[in-house]
Amino acid sequence: MSTLKTGKVKTTTIADELDTESTAVTNVINGSAKAWINFNGSTDAILSSFNVTSLTNVGTGRHTINFTTAFNDTNYCVVTGNNDFSGDSGLRTTGVDNSTSKTTSSVSISTKYNSSGATGTLIDYSVQNGVVVFN
Amino acid sequence: MDKRIIYPTDDGGVAVIVPAPNCGLTIEQIAEKDVPTGKEYQIVDVADIPSDRTFRDAWEYL
Repeated sequence: MSTLKTGKVKTTTIADELDTESTAVTNVINGSAKAWINFNGSTDAILSSFNVTSLTNVGTGRHTINFTTAFNDTNYCVVTGNNDFSGDSGLRTTGVDNSTSKTTSSVSISTKYNSSGATGTLIDYSVQNGVVVFN
Repeated sequence: MDKRIIYPTDDGGVAVIVPAPNCGLTIEQIAEKDVPTGKEYQIVDVADIPSDRTFRDAWEYL
């Protein structure tokens, strides 16, 4: 195996070592997350992140993720999730906060807990919240 | 980073910015970048932020 050190490689397809599998480079570029964060929703501790400068706690169950490198527009895709909690009797959900518009440099999310009714209540209780951004 | 940035929210509360580890920016640079334009802010110690969030939405910016 050799090591190639260079500033940029231009190609259209990449393949594995045995050339048994390959994919277009566009799949790698467009399929790679452009930003992500895993944080504790009750302490705001950032456990790991990429392309994120900071996390803003705006209030109970509400956080804003601030990107290091801004996107060209606000059409990027946001995928969210959180850990279940052993004491939960209902559904805990995390999603893009509809009370705050996405911007090219940040996205706001909210976490709610729905114990039984149709309307969830904002909550800080999630042990880990994950947000991944594709573009 | 043992610092936080706080600023007043439009609804009378207070927002707390937590810097991402290894983001490569200083706390001052993060404040300039991530505090909404025109908002006043303060850089405070982590210990200055209450850990009890029972009344989180009643926090006020002083």
